[in-house]
Amino acid sequence: MTILKAEKIHKAYGNKFNRQEVLKGIDLAIEEGEFLSIMGASGSGKTTLLNVLSSIDKLTSGALQIEDQDMTKLKEKQLATFRKLHLGFIFQDYHLLDTLTVKENILLPLSIAGFSKKQAQAKFDTLANQLGLKEISNHYPNQISGGQKQRTSAARAFIHQPSIIFADEPTGALDSKAAADLLNLLSDLNQQRKATIVMVTHDMTAASFSKRVVFIKDGQVYTQLNKGDQTQQRFYQDIMKTQAVLSGVPHEH
Amino acid sequence: MSINRLIIQNLKQNVKNYYLYVLALIFSVALYFSFVTLQYDPSMDRASGSIRGEAGIRSASVLLFVIVAVFLLYANRIFIKRLSQEIGLFQLIGMNKKQIFRVLTIENSILYFSSLAFGIGIGFISSKLIMMILYKITGVDDVASLHFSIEALQQTLIIFCIVFVCICFTNYLFILKNTILQLFTVLKSTEHRVKRFAWLEVIIGLLGLLSIGSGYYVSQRLFDGDFTGINHLFLAMIFILSSVIIGTYFFFKGTVSFILNMMRKYRRGYLTINHVLSLSSLMFRMKSNALLLTIVTTVSALSIGLLSLSYITYYSAEKTAMQNVAGDFSFTTEQTADLFTNTLEEANIPFQRIQRDVIYVEADVEAIAETEFAQQNIEEMPLILPVVSAEQVENLDLVEGETRFAGASVLMETMLTLKDEGEISWITPEATIDQHFSGREKTTILSYLFTNGGLPVGIVNQNTFEQLQVYQDEDLQVDYNVFFAVNITNRSQLDDANKLFNHLIDEFEAESGPLSLVEMSQDQKESMGLVMFIVGFLGLTFLITSGCILYFKQMDESEDEKANYTILRKIGYTKHDLIKGIRIKQIFNFGIPLILGLSHSYFAVKSGWFFFGTELWTPMLIVMVIYTILYSGFGLLSVSYYKEVINKSL
Repeated sequence: MTILKAEKIHKAYGNKFNRQEVLKGIDLAIEEGEFLSIMGASGSGKTTLLNVLSSIDKLTSGALQIEDQDMTKLKEKQLATFRKLHLGFIFQDYHLLDTLTVKENILLPLSIAGFSKKQAQAKFDTLANQLGLKEISNHYPNQISGGQKQRTSAARAFIHQPSIIFADEPTGALDSKAAADLLNLLSDLNQQRKATIVMVTHDMTAASFSKRVVFIKDGQVYTQLNKGDQTQQRFYQDIMKTQAVLSGVPHEH
Repeated sequence: MSINRLIIQNLKQNVKNYYLYVLALIFSVALYFSFVTLQYDPSMDRASGSIRGEAGIRSASVLLFVIVAVFLLYANRIFIKRLSQEIGLFQLIGMNKKQIFRVLTIENSILYFSSLAFGIGIGFISSKLIMMILYKITGVDDVASLHFSIEALQQTLIIFCIVFVCICFTNYLFILKNTILQLFTVLKSTEHRVKRFAWLEVIIGLLGLLSIGSGYYVSQRLFDGDFTGINHLFLAMIFILSSVIIGTYFFFKGTVSFILNMMRKYRRGYLTINHVLSLSSLMFRMKSNALLLTIVTTVSALSIGLLSLSYITYYSAEKTAMQNVAGDFSFTTEQTADLFTNTLEEANIPFQRIQRDVIYVEADVEAIAETEFAQQNIEEMPLILPVVSAEQVENLDLVEGETRFAGASVLMETMLTLKDEGEISWITPEATIDQHFSGREKTTILSYLFTNGGLPVGIVNQNTFEQLQVYQDEDLQVDYNVFFAVNITNRSQLDDANKLFNHLIDEFEAESGPLSLVEMSQDQKESMGLVMFIVGFLGLTFLITSGCILYFKQMDESEDEKANYTILRKIGYTKHDLIKGIRIKQIFNFGIPLILGLSHSYFAVKSGWFFFGTELWTPMLIVMVIYTILYSGFGLLSVSYYKEVINKSL
C-alpha cells in the first residue's frame, strides 16, 4: 500500500524578482513499511524535500498525499494535528528539550495525542527496554552521550506508532560506532514494528542500511537504487558508484 | 564601507532590538527630569512647606537616580549580550577592539542622547501634570504653571552623562574580556546547567518557607508586647527583615523548584504542553535568577508597604483629626470658648456647645488587661486617666458603679489590650472606688491635649464623678480641667466657621489650646500628601523599572527557548497550544514575585500600621490593586512578545 504519494513537487523561495527554485518537480511514492534514504550533495534540496514531505514547509505547487489525505488542502492547525498523530521526527542535533528528562522527552508525543497515563507508561516500558534507555530515563539530555540522545530522539519518534518517521541526518553528529548502533536499531524497528522510515543523509554507510535509496540532484530525482536481495556490502558499493557518477567524478572500472 | 556607514546601518538594524530599551530610557529621563523640575520650581515651596519637605524631595531625587542608574546598566547588559555576535563578527573581519568600541559607543550615544533629549521634552510637559497632582493631594490651592528650569536641565544632563560613562565602561570591559569564540556563543550559553535534584535543594526549599514564616510570625508579635525596650524591638526588626529577605532568596533558589519538582514527580514523566512550557523551564530559570528576583520582590514589597502606610496616613487624616480635636473646634478655657461662640452667633452660624469637666484619677485595670505586656506596663507605671461624667456625654446613661472607656487611639488599644468587660477600680489617696467596666464607646470625648495623645477617657456615673471630685489627688491635676467643644450644626457652614476661627486665632488666650478639625486634617493632608507623592513617585519608578527588567529577562529567555518551540511545533503542537503554555508560565513568572511582594508588604504594614492612621484595609487594598494592575501590564507585554517568537519559530 502506498502511504505517501508526491507528484510534481515544486518549492521555490524568494519573491517575484529573486526567485530560487529548490525543488523542480519531484515525484515520489513511498510504500508502507519501507525504509527509504534520500541522498544528495549539499544544496541538492534533500532537506527541503524532507521538510515539504513532512508538512513542516509548504510546497509551492504539486500534489502531496499521506495516508489518502491531501496535505496541500490542510490548514496550519490541521497540519499540526496530522503531524502529532501520524508523523515522527528524528533530527541531526537531536532536538531534545534540555529542561525535560529522557522519559519526559519521549512521552511528549503521547501527551499531545491524549493517551492515558497508564497506556503511556506501558508504551514507554516496552520501547525503553528495546532501546536500552531504561537506566537513563530520569537523566537530563546534557547528562547523556550523543548516541543516547539520538536513541532518545528515536524513541520519541517511534513511541506513538506514527505512519511515517522522518529522519534528517540522524547520524550526522554521531561517531561511527554510535551511528552503526542507531542504524541497526532503525532497521530493527523498521522490521519489527513495520514502521515506515524516510531518512535524509549524505553518508553512504547510513544509506546502505535502508531498502531503497533515492538520489536527488539540483532539485530533481536523479536516480534510485533498490537493495532487493543484495547484501548490505554490495548495496553499499552500488550506492558508492552512483554517488560517484552523481558528483561527476569518473569512476575507474 | 566606511565605519560611519557601518554605524548607521547597524543602528537601523538594531532599532528593533532596542525599542524597549529606548522607551525605558525615555521614560526614566522624563521621570527624573520632571521630578527635578519640581525640586527647583519656586512654587514648590508652598507644597513642600518646610525644610523637611525639601530634604525629602532632595533625598528622593538621589534615590530616583540610583534606581534609574541600576536599571539602565542592567538593561544595557542584556542588550550588549544580544549584540555579542555582531561584535564577534567585527573582530573576525579584522577590526581591533578599540575600533569596535568606537562603533559601539557612537551607535550607543546617538540612541542615548536622542532619547535623553526626547525624555527631557516629555518630562517638561508632564511636570505640569505632576505638579497638578501634587497640588491636588496636598490641597494647595494654586494653578500649576510651567517653568523651564535651567538648573533642573543641568542636573539631569550631568546625572545621565555619568550613567552613560558607566554604560560605556561596562561595554568596554565586555569587549575587552571576551574572545571571538566566546562572543559567538554568549547568546547560546544558557544560564543553567541542568542537574539532578539533590537533597540540598529540598533543605533549601524548606528553609526558605520556614524563614519567611518565622519572619511573618515575629512581625505580628512585634508590638504585642513580647519585645519591650527599644533594643529588643530593634533586634526583632532586624531579624524580621533578614529572615524574610533570606527566606525570599531561598524561596526562589529552592522552594519553587522543589514544589514544581514534586508536581513533576507526580506526573511520572507524562507532561502536557502546559507543564513543559511552564513547570520545567520555570524550575531552572527561577533558580538561576534567584538574586534578581529577590531584589525585585524585596523592593516591590518595600514600595507597596511604604505606599500603603503613607496612603493610610493620608486616608485617615480626617479620622485622626477627629480623634485629636474631639469636635469641630475645641478649647480648654471658658473665656476663649465664649469669644468664639459669640462670634459665631454674630455671624449667624448655628452651633452646639459642649462642656465637659475633667479630673485625673489613677486607675487600676490589671484585672481586665488582656496581654502580659499590658500587665507589665501597668505594674511599671500607674495609669492616670482623665475621667468625665456620663451626664456631660450625649446619649449615654450609666448606672452607679459602672465605668466605660472612650476614645482610645488604635495604637493605644494595641499596646494596652483590654477585655470587653471586668472589674476595675479608681484609686484616690483617700479611697479606692471599685467599678464594673462595661465596655468601650467609639466616640471621642476629649481632645488629645487631655488624653496624652491617646489614652482612653473614663466615663462614670454623675454620683461617682462627684465622689471622685471630692477625693481627687491635687498632684495629678494638670492645667486643663474643662473641655469645650463647638460643633457646627450645618456642615456647609463649617468652612465659614473655620475662617472665623483663623481670624480670631490671635485673640485666643495662649493657654486655651484652640483646635480646629478642618485645620488639623488639612495640615495632616499637606504633610502626608507630600510624603505620599514622593513615595508614590519612587514606587512608580521602581514598578516600571522592575517590570521592564522582568520583561527584558523574558525577551532573553524567549530567544533561548526558541529552539524548543521549533521542536514542539515540529512534533505537532500548534501555536495556540504553545501560547497557552506561555501564558501559564508568565502567570508564574510575574505572579510569584508579585504575590510574594504583596504578602511581604501585607505583613509589614499589618505589624505597625496603627502608628500611621486609623484605617487599614481600604487604603492598603487600593494601593495593592493599583500595583497589581500596573504590574500585570508587563506580563501581558511579554506574552505578546512570546507570541511573535513562537510565530517565527517554524
